[in-house]
Amino acid sequence: MGIELEHVSMLWNGVPYLKDVSLKIEDGDFVTLLGQTGAGKTTLLRILAGIEFPDKGRILVDGKDVTGIPVQQRSIAMVYQQFINYPSFTIYENIASPLRVGKRKLTEKEIDEKVRSTAALLGLTSVLDHLPEEVSGGQKQRTAIARALVKDANLIILDEPLANLDYKLREELRGELKRLFSKRHGAIVYATPEPIDALAMATKVGFLHQGELLQYGQTEDVYSNPSCVEVGEYFSYPTMNMFPCRLEKTGKKCFLTATEEFRVDVSQLADKLDKQEYLLGIHAYALSTVPEADRLLEIRATLDLAEVVGSDTEIHLTHKGLRFIALMQKIVSYEIGTEVTVYLEPDRFFIFDKETRRLVAKTSDTVSS
Amino acid sequence: MWHSYEAGKKKGWFKPKEECPDDSYCVTDLNIKWENGSANALLGPSGCGKTTLLNVISGLLKPTRGKVLFDGKDVTALSPEERHIAQVFQFPVTYESMDVFQNLSFPLKNDGWAAAKIDARVKEIIALLDMGEIAHRSMAKLTPADKQKVSLGRGLVRPNTAAVLLDEPLTVIDPKQQWDLRRRLRQVQRQLKLTMIYVTHDQHEALTFADNITVMSLGQISQTGTPEELHSNPANPFIGFFIGSPGMNLLDCALRGDELDFGGFTIPAAQNIKVKVAGCGGSCKLGIRPESVEVAFTPKKDWPEFTLLTVENMGAYKVLTLESGSRRIKSRIPENAAVTEGAKLWVRFPEEQVKIFKDDVRIDG
Repeated sequence: MGIELEHVSMLWNGVPYLKDVSLKIEDGDFVTLLGQTGAGKTTLLRILAGIEFPDKGRILVDGKDVTGIPVQQRSIAMVYQQFINYPSFTIYENIASPLRVGKRKLTEKEIDEKVRSTAALLGLTSVLDHLPEEVSGGQKQRTAIARALVKDANLIILDEPLANLDYKLREELRGELKRLFSKRHGAIVYATPEPIDALAMATKVGFLHQGELLQYGQTEDVYSNPSCVEVGEYFSYPTMNMFPCRLEKTGKKCFLTATEEFRVDVSQLADKLDKQEYLLGIHAYALSTVPEADRLLEIRATLDLAEVVGSDTEIHLTHKGLRFIALMQKIVSYEIGTEVTVYLEPDRFFIFDKETRRLVAKTSDTVSS
Repeated sequence: MWHSYEAGKKKGWFKPKEECPDDSYCVTDLNIKWENGSANALLGPSGCGKTTLLNVISGLLKPTRGKVLFDGKDVTALSPEERHIAQVFQFPVTYESMDVFQNLSFPLKNDGWAAAKIDARVKEIIALLDMGEIAHRSMAKLTPADKQKVSLGRGLVRPNTAAVLLDEPLTVIDPKQQWDLRRRLRQVQRQLKLTMIYVTHDQHEALTFADNITVMSLGQISQTGTPEELHSNPANPFIGFFIGSPGMNLLDCALRGDELDFGGFTIPAAQNIKVKVAGCGGSCKLGIRPESVEVAFTPKKDWPEFTLLTVENMGAYKVLTLESGSRRIKSRIPENAAVTEGAKLWVRFPEEQVKIFKDDVRIDG
């Protein structure tokens, strides 16, 4: 099964909600649509499902145009942010419900087998006799996911399914969902504002920004080659640090200079750099207050804030008016306001054109390539 | 100025009659002390008694038994106003018909302040919370995040505020703005050296906000400490799993000769671990943090074999879910390590990183 969107646009009271979106989803793909609230994720999901019809463009399923065909006639299951279940049905009956309304009549034995195996996959076996109000938030959402799975649809669409769950449950369910979905046929499309959801689970990621699909591709590829500043900043956790800098040439050497101390040798990339101003992007975890062999660049900074996040500590720093974040992979306490030395790895920078905001090169690119 | 609070001295100190007909207590026998100028969190799942405790501290509820002391003075019988406590609730509580400035002036007007003094003080608070742009906007036009800032500002506006209690203050705020608001809270706490107690069920929020965290479970204190203490020395398996990301691996095992048997795989038991496990009947729950689980890609002597089920890329690191028989564990490895789902891996639990629990209590260290 393959789905293709061709130049899909959508207007809302004259305002464009989606601008010329094209993408291809193949059988076995787990696609995340990543973007802020209002980026157009839900609109795109609704168009994919056939709940909404685009103003321009086409939707093809296995090469066939299905643009005007409503959701009931497509093989689709949906899971929403709110835990939607039938309150008067037991968890068992909730999971069984899609099987009872399908075109193909199943025997009670077939239904029972499907319900129990799906419940087992999602860890719901012990609560099958309970009503939704008697189970936890995590179990409610698992029930909604079980209902989508049991239907055996070609396409499962999930709209921020983990948003209303607490941190610990999200952590647990991410791994479970990845395992569950990797075993089934068909495709998954999953909308989320959380970059970690996309990175941890998806095979493909599409980044939506103000109705535009700025980048779409294999998750690893988008993560390691963000096409522009917007993708780099959003598809990273903590947010990628960006340092404005100037190109400086001295003899055969070529530097990107943010401050006197903060100079990155880019001589090997000289032929790719013909502008005056760039942005140097670097992940927060490529910075540290601990020196190591490959952390050759040193800058002095003031510590503004330290926050424990999970098993890590995020420290917020200022160096000559430039604010940035370093992620320490342990729990450490710091005195606010102190001066610290920050060590950076020079070959982990992304170089963006300041004007066009496009990725120009990475300092890990070698001269021989 | 109040300097420190102590709550609870005697056993069983609060019992709401209507809610718990079976004579059970919502919170029992708590002894906690919060120091002046500290950032504290009360962390626990819904129904653990944290809001009850907060209301006892503020004076909204009277304990069935026990005392609340501020700087050693018994304030159990005093009202919230007499205790000089400001409280911020889940939903912003503001006067909708007034603008931001008027909302912040209101408590001072009631206290009979002169107009010029009110003006100066309110401007201070507006600057502190970075609300200059919205100072004369009506409440109806504000976002939930800004409304919550106003609630907080009203709590801070009286200079003699002894403590600010916050009950899940970010519930109705957009996730993107939660970070900003929490960071602002933390900065204000540091700047004013205020005592704050922040109630939440979200470990993430508690750890980012507080220096001192009290974890509650079923009306009792599970553990109190800094984020680092809770992380590296959990008092029980609940804390081990609840604090840290991912949570601690918790595995039941039994001592068989010189080995710990996990039902599916075994590891050699170090002498000190052997003694401890033998001392508690030969079985225990072993805890080890995912970042402490060592992983090898080729077989090693005494390292049990696992299958790599899932790899989750978290940006800064990768989380591996490993399986042996029906046992699953998590391991945290560097982001640049190359791993493939389905591969075989060999693991080791370094002895010095292992925690041992029996009947939900730590028995080592």
